[in-house]
Amino acid sequence: MADHLSIFLENKPGKLEKVTHVLADANINIHFISVASLGEFGVIKTIVDKPDIAHKALKEHHFTVSQKKILIAAIDDRPGNLHELLALFSENDINIEDCYGFPIKEQGKVGIVIEADAYPKIETVLASHHIHCIDLNEIT
Amino acid sequence: MFWEKEIETISSSDLKKLQLIKLHHTIEKAKKSDYYKKILKKTKISTLKDIESLPFTSKQDLRDHFPYGLLAEDLTESVRLHSSSGTTGNPTVVFHTKEDIELWADLVARCMYMTGVRKHDVFQNTMGYGLFTGGLGFHYGAEKLGMLTIPVGPGNSKRQIWFMQQFSTTAVHILPSYAIHLYSSFQELSLDPKKDTRLKTAFIGAEPHTNALRVQIENLYGIKAYNSYGLSEMCGPGVAFECPQQNGMHIWEDHFYVEIIDPKTGQILPDGEEGELVLTTLKRSAMPLIRYRTRDLTRIINEPCLCGRTHRRIERIKGRSDDMLIINGVNIFPMQIEQTVMQFPGVGNNYRIEILKENHMDRINVLIEVHEEIFNGTLSKLDQLKNQIIEALKSECGVTPKVKLVEPESLPINEGKAVRVFDMRRNEEE
Ligand SMILES: [Zn+2]
Repeated sequence: MADHLSIFLENKPGKLEKVTHVLADANINIHFISVASLGEFGVIKTIVDKPDIAHKALKEHHFTVSQKKILIAAIDDRPGNLHELLALFSENDINIEDCYGFPIKEQGKVGIVIEADAYPKIETVLASHHIHCIDLNEIT
Repeated sequence: MFWEKEIETISSSDLKKLQLIKLHHTIEKAKKSDYYKKILKKTKISTLKDIESLPFTSKQDLRDHFPYGLLAEDLTESVRLHSSSGTTGNPTVVFHTKEDIELWADLVARCMYMTGVRKHDVFQNTMGYGLFTGGLGFHYGAEKLGMLTIPVGPGNSKRQIWFMQQFSTTAVHILPSYAIHLYSSFQELSLDPKKDTRLKTAFIGAEPHTNALRVQIENLYGIKAYNSYGLSEMCGPGVAFECPQQNGMHIWEDHFYVEIIDPKTGQILPDGEEGELVLTTLKRSAMPLIRYRTRDLTRIINEPCLCGRTHRRIERIKGRSDDMLIINGVNIFPMQIEQTVMQFPGVGNNYRIEILKENHMDRINVLIEVHEEIFNGTLSKLDQLKNQIIEALKSECGVTPKVKLVEPESLPINEGKAVRVFDMRRNEEE
């Protein structure tokens, strides 16, 4: 398991840079970052090496932060594979809040980040289909 | 069950006799002030109804005769002043003699005793101390009743909880919005106020709130919450208060003569009709006020109350008569907007409402700071909250607002009795 940090931001110039600045000052390494926005506001999601320290630093700078557990499933990098994974979730009635992927070069695999609520259940489902979940240190 | 049984259950005819005596006394006293000297010169009161021939006193009269114009005693007799902050012009200043302070404390003690708190209770006052009457008013009342009183003052939720736990606080005086906010601090500390405190009573007031919000506070804390009404011009808190029936607030008619008028015409309205509350002090020495227009809109409930008290009740305050806004032709009270926004959990005090003109149309902007209580990390939840607030305001006020979600610390900090509705149209016209 790993941690997702979600940060609420107003959609204004320089806002994203403020977040990366705080993280840089706290000596945090950013593995992934994504921005989703709805017009006047948005949410930044990031995976970092030291989530607890990053959370604290952002809070001290008056950012509103939510920290959540995520799973990173490693699947083979071939067509149709992501579809199979998602079908697996819907068959098992698992609701996914957020999901995106990134390549893991050395292994020829793709890491799929899954944010949801029903973790033990997801882990059981993945394990029964021989899908491996990786740790952050395996990819960095 | 009564602090002062005889007076609280006085018969209507005895109350009228008492009021007439006190009214004579008040008028004689008021004549000593520069302001009332001229107005009351030829006043003859033989029945209570004769009061209707006297002019009203307004907040503006208090401002215009700042600071000593309404003082009816030598200033050396005053031991305290309270003041409401004025955003425009002079503030209103109210003076108190030693006796005024004692009578006020006794009145607040009567209110608190009515809800069932006793000498053995531990009372924590989270209201602001200072010029604002909410803090000191309850403080003196609680001491008069004999409770151990903890003057914590506002803010610092961790410290509030620490005191509640260390000293087994059983009663609190708290802003309803702060009660909701404080609950989230309990959650952060993995505490449940129902199990981890001895709280049983809350006195809530000083800001508008719905009955739904009261019920929410009662359920979160497992307590009873009682509505309190007061205004600094009369003394402060203690003017009217809820009894255990929680159905309207008994307004203490041995201290105040009560009228309800049509705010537009000044016509007196019968019991049961909604209008502006007008009060005459019956016991105050330093600064008696006659037919003071409170600007608060309410209704008198004159049916007998099951608790046995004979003083009539007033309904939860509906709004301020002079605050009414006209937005695209629709009449709206700022309180309606505030109550609607505040009922969303987690929003608490962290909002600001702006009314402005855009392309010759009025529009309402609701700015809400996004704190952790309402942020679970997903965009969709925020969007959902935004839409829920828009829908709620649309059905409550008939106007579609624009809701803006902003970062923490971007709105100005409010303390005490805060104004959160800003009509920017006035500024634009000037
Ligand atoms: Zn009653």
